[in-house]
Amino acid sequence: MTEIESRIREEAKKVLENGLVDLVIGWAAGSVPFRTTPVFIDNAQDVDKLVWNPVCANNLAVYLPKMAKNRKVAIVAKPCDIRSIVALIQENQVKRENLYIIGLGCAGVVDPSKLESAAIRLSDIKALEWEGEGIRIVTVDGEQVLRSTEVHREMCLACTKREPALYDVKFGEAVLPSQIKPRELPELPEERQKYWSEQFSKCIRCYACRQICPNCYCEVCFADRVEPKWTAKKAVPEENWMFHATRAMHLAGRCIQCGECERVCPVGIRIAELMREMAEAVKNKYDYEAGDPKEEAPLLGTFRENDIDPAQHSE
Amino acid sequence: MSEDSTLVQERTEQETKESAEQGRTWQPIILGILCNWCSYAGADLAGSSRLQYPETVRIIRVPCSGRVDPAFVLKAFRKGFDGVMVLGCHPGDCHYAKGNYYARRRIALLQDLLKALGLPEERFHFEWVSASEGNRFAELVQEFTEQIRRLGPFKGVVAVENKSS
Repeated sequence: MTEIESRIREEAKKVLENGLVDLVIGWAAGSVPFRTTPVFIDNAQDVDKLVWNPVCANNLAVYLPKMAKNRKVAIVAKPCDIRSIVALIQENQVKRENLYIIGLGCAGVVDPSKLESAAIRLSDIKALEWEGEGIRIVTVDGEQVLRSTEVHREMCLACTKREPALYDVKFGEAVLPSQIKPRELPELPEERQKYWSEQFSKCIRCYACRQICPNCYCEVCFADRVEPKWTAKKAVPEENWMFHATRAMHLAGRCIQCGECERVCPVGIRIAELMREMAEAVKNKYDYEAGDPKEEAPLLGTFRENDIDPAQHSE
Repeated sequence: MSEDSTLVQERTEQETKESAEQGRTWQPIILGILCNWCSYAGADLAGSSRLQYPETVRIIRVPCSGRVDPAFVLKAFRKGFDGVMVLGCHPGDCHYAKGNYYARRRIALLQDLLKALGLPEERFHFEWVSASEGNRFAELVQEFTEQIRRLGPFKGVVAVENKSS
């Protein structure tokens, strides 16, 4: 147990015992050492279930709109999860006064599928720990340190916002990546269209990306509507395109770049790349960053008179 | 229209063939989404002034450009329209005071999305047209039609070699 882990547990115990919150949401050890699972604790005796390590992947903010509606909840959150929380507060989906945020400085999260390609047998792994910018992996045969580029999630390799932006208590120090991974989308339009055609053709329409997304909280998703029917349920490339394109539009100016959609995709569609492209456009056009506490209102829920004019003026 | 047909596209292909046989130029099919208070009135003025413009545009009247869900445009492309144009009141002239200001941000991001997805941006046109600009509307349709004609029929949102149906 690391020092930060014990401080998280103490804090959780404290807020449950003094009645500040009714529930603590955090991560617990998974069935294997390279996975964790969300845990919901309402009894101070159970706080020892809480863990904090490089495989605490889930963005737990996804539970807040329902779970923190009528009660006070403490949430253990990484900086990206906190950006989700900020976005949810800005969109009136959760009340700040119902939350107690245990913020964590982050050093990047591991993508377990990359461990296999780093020639480590998953069944040999006993523990994963942060070691500077890299990850120390303890196996049955000993231990080794891998560089962040070898094991981190793609989203983490491009992340520089590793300090919590909003919290009630903060533990741990952020470690910034020494270099940012550039985007790899094809430049030419025809190649891009081909790229996304290939990506979306894989989609089986399981909607895992939507279910895991803290920003996808609509009670009835456009994809489930029958009247009007925006897209058929059938997993054919054109309908998949319609689903992903519309979802990207719905998240434009709202996605906080946690990359959960890409992590949970069972067929490996690189959804987060599209989200990143849109976030960059939003930043360039409106100097707006979703999930930043300095933003006063959701991007598309407001305007400025001198906004960029998209009209092409062909006269 | 059956749910996953690309009827518009099939029709375009058929028309292309027929036009070629008859030695005429191919006519694209363009979807026009027009605000009731300015652009639709502008189109109406073009009509009542007997201005000539290509019969390529199919018009949907909406109460305000702020009503235009970007998914309208995405769905139009998914259904195979060769081009889509969205027209609204000039900034400051909105009947509902600020609908077109909201539209402005949405449309700007929609353009970025089309770009990110690799769709030809030239197939989407956004413009401000007032009720008195009948002339401008006719010119706009004329110019946009020629632009689309140069690009040729739209091959669909999915690159052809990956088509399943």
